[in-house]
Amino acid sequence: MPQSIRAGSGTRAAIFAPLDGAGRAELVLQRLTDAIVLGVLHDGERLPSEAELARQLGVATVTAREALEILRRNKLVHTKRGRDGGSFVTFAGRGATDLQDERLVAWSRVQVRDLGVHYSAIAGLAAELAADRASAADIENLERILDRADAGTADAARRGQGTFRLEVAALSQSARLVREELRLQAEFGSLLWLSLRDASRRERCQAVQRATVAALIAEDGARARQLTVTQIIESIEWLIEAKSLLELKGRSTMTDSTATVSTTAVLPTGAPA
Amino acid sequence: MTPETLTPEHDGPQTAAGFSSVAAVFDPVFARLEHWADLVERYAARPDRIADRADLDPLMESLVRREFTDSEGCVIGAGFVSAPNFLGWHLAWWLGGQNPAVSGLPATGIRHLETVEDPLDESFRDYTALEWWRVPEQTGRRHITGPYVDYLCTDEYTLTLTLPVYRAAELIGVVGIDLSVDEIERGLIPRLGADGVSVTVINSSGRVVVSTDTHLATGALLRLPGLSEHLNDQSGGAPGLPAGHTFQWCGQTGLAIVAGPAPS
Repeated sequence: MPQSIRAGSGTRAAIFAPLDGAGRAELVLQRLTDAIVLGVLHDGERLPSEAELARQLGVATVTAREALEILRRNKLVHTKRGRDGGSFVTFAGRGATDLQDERLVAWSRVQVRDLGVHYSAIAGLAAELAADRASAADIENLERILDRADAGTADAARRGQGTFRLEVAALSQSARLVREELRLQAEFGSLLWLSLRDASRRERCQAVQRATVAALIAEDGARARQLTVTQIIESIEWLIEAKSLLELKGRSTMTDSTATVSTTAVLPTGAPA
Repeated sequence: MTPETLTPEHDGPQTAAGFSSVAAVFDPVFARLEHWADLVERYAARPDRIADRADLDPLMESLVRREFTDSEGCVIGAGFVSAPNFLGWHLAWWLGGQNPAVSGLPATGIRHLETVEDPLDESFRDYTALEWWRVPEQTGRRHITGPYVDYLCTDEYTLTLTLPVYRAAELIGVVGIDLSVDEIERGLIPRLGADGVSVTVINSSGRVVVSTDTHLATGALLRLPGLSEHLNDQSGGAPGLPAGHTFQWCGQTGLAIVAGPAPS
């Protein structure tokens, strides 16, 4: 019922939704890492207790403890003892950039492109259906969201894009599409919209959002879908270019025996995050 | 049943049948909401005590808990939402064990919905702007919001029924119940069927709640010449729909029934 009480709390619900299958500690770790890097969990925010986390995710307490331990080692959370104690997110943008870059290097081009195909299938059809199913009030709501949107920083633009895509998915009236949109955002949102580090990409992203709303008003589903899919393909191609540069840089720094690599330093058009 | 039980204003053979079906599904739910509103109003009217969420929340929880055990899965959330000038920004709202996000809980388990209630928090959102609050506030009556995908709460496809609660003339909140659209469909479809006629229940935006027409998906907008004139006209005096179609508001719920020839 409390639709839009908390922006982004849907993605939060997806983060704490039960996990199934093997490799649960890794999955817990991956999900929480992504949530922190994506900014769904904010700097300084207290995480649920080990027991609570285990209960919410449907894993054993030791699994949750293991994941929290690795998060501590990766300096993404710190633990305070005592009455106001607990695990708190310690997220500084710098560490997040390195993590995102590491992940991008670890993924193959095939995996990155396949993520784009999967996300296009979900977001593209959601946009197409939304054009048929959005009422005038729905459109007004979307326009309000765009008017309030802040594209000043990469994080703000990514949150804005996440909110916009989620709202469009909700207009499809399909619970399955919405759940899949949430899941993809929670797991890959930080990677998928890495291109928003780039100020010109942020402007373009907002222009595409406006054009998508215009297509919804015109009840032009094909156009809404095409705008969405093109935007995703462009973002994926940016990622592959960034990945190539990171790999080049990685090879040269390996010979220089320098350890760290960051896209913010090497991207051709990228404004630092 | 309640002072506001659904009653058809004029009979058409198909819409009358549809009307009693819609009433059979929603009237009992609104009857329970009337009961809750009455209890909250009596609580708020105690002459010598200040209203406090520490008192009201347990009261609501006991009412709501009964709802989940009796409803066989139809209810996905229920509770009381306070006006900011009553208990502050506050949701005394519970979710059922049906919610997939809490599938680890025992079937009878309910959980309190946690929300950001601090207006200074960046994540805070003003719920008094939302349809399930705004419409009952404006009309002073019951309202049905949706269907919509409630992605911030349960990810379920939902109808939200709300009723305003007053202390004297002052609005102090709304009581509400979230119903699963799946369950509404199960309850309604068998009662709507009629030979050669397609019956569609829509909301005030023209969005399909359920339809006996195979070609009309729940959630789609019903597109019919003249329909928007009917939806914008509460008096019932709007010009006619295409031949063979009838339109009927379902009391003050914001739902309407459109009947027409079944596609051949």
